Amino acid sequence: MPETLEFLSVNFWQTLMSIGNLIILFLIVKKLLFKPVNDILKKRSEEVDKIYSEAEELRVKAKTDKDIYEDKLKSAKNETDLMIKTATERAEHRGEEIISKATLEAENRKKKAESEISLAKKKAVNEMKDKITDMVITLSQQVVEKEIDSKIHETLIDTAIDELGESV
Amino acid sequence: MNVDITGAKILFRLPFGIVITETQVNMWIVMLVIALLCKFLTHNMKIKPAGKRQVIAEYLVKMASNFVKENMGEGFMKFTPFIAALFSLASFSSLSSLFGMYPPTSDLNTTLGWAIIVFVMITYYKIKTNGILGYAKGLTEPFAVMTPFNILGEFSTPISMAFRMFGNTASGAVISALLYAGLAWLSNLVLQWLPEALSSIPLLQLGLPAILSIYFDLFSSVLQAFIFCMLTMLYVSSAASND
Repeated sequence: MPETLEFLSVNFWQTLMSIGNLIILFLIVKKLLFKPVNDILKKRSEEVDKIYSEAEELRVKAKTDKDIYEDKLKSAKNETDLMIKTATERAEHRGEEIISKATLEAENRKKKAESEISLAKKKAVNEMKDKITDMVITLSQQVVEKEIDSKIHETLIDTAIDELGESV
Repeated sequence: MNVDITGAKILFRLPFGIVITETQVNMWIVMLVIALLCKFLTHNMKIKPAGKRQVIAEYLVKMASNFVKENMGEGFMKFTPFIAALFSLASFSSLSSLFGMYPPTSDLNTTLGWAIIVFVMITYYKIKTNGILGYAKGLTEPFAVMTPFNILGEFSTPISMAFRMFGNTASGAVISALLYAGLAWLSNLVLQWLPEALSSIPLLQLGLPAILSIYFDLFSSVLQAFIFCMLTMLYVSSAASND
């Protein structure tokens, strides 16, 4: 039978050792379990905070970028609008110019044609006059060869001129 | 038939009357197990949880922290490792009986030591909160005649805590020992018509002690450790409150 303590006994050293053991275990648990775990938890929450702030930064940057691009797009649109407008105006202007030039030319040509026509008329009339004169002279010679009757002369000349006038 | 109910075995004696018993050695074993467990669980931890071990370690720390926060409040968070150490030491010590070891909590010296620490904490917080004079004055209330009883009351707290834990664990051991002895005697009686070699086998010891063991070794161990921690937290936090 090995030597034992009494079932119910109080021993100063035993109690002191129990106190010491609990304090030592407290230090062990604190150092080996709580400190590393709490460190990790703290680091994790720091990292999460960092990720959040980075995300926020990125969001803000994305928003400014978006604004900038939207502005650029808007100004580009304005520019194209302006370009189209200018081009249209120029085209209209040019069209008008072309039309007015064409009208002018057409009028010139018309005038020229008209003057040519009137010239031709004059020429025709002159030719006619020459022919009439010839005819009159011929007729006069014929008439003189037969007998001179003023009544017949007049009728003859009138008829001749009328005939000429109809043919012209 | 005789049943010996004794305390811890004395393993060796040192000078100045220091004795090293099973209690001490088993407690050191329990402490070593807890320390190794902590080391194992927190080994190679990463910010992104890498394995089950880290999840368990974080879960235990968070659970202990929440437990202390709920029972003592935000101001006592530095108590968390102490409560965790107390709970693990008390429950693991009691549970060591499952491995046939002498549970250190069935030695009054063990529980008394822990209760003394709690008593020191309670008194420290009472004096810190009310001042030394306020504390001394509190002992004389409501009448000066009550002073001796109040002082007794102060000491009764750790003593009742120590005996509660010790009594529950030790009584479990005592009842188990009595039951084993009783069943051995009974089975000897029932089986005496068998030859000597067979009748000496205590067949009735099968079964019933196992059920009792579940209660005393598993349930009661954890429950008493829990109660001890609960009382520690309540006493200390109420000592720190002003009323």
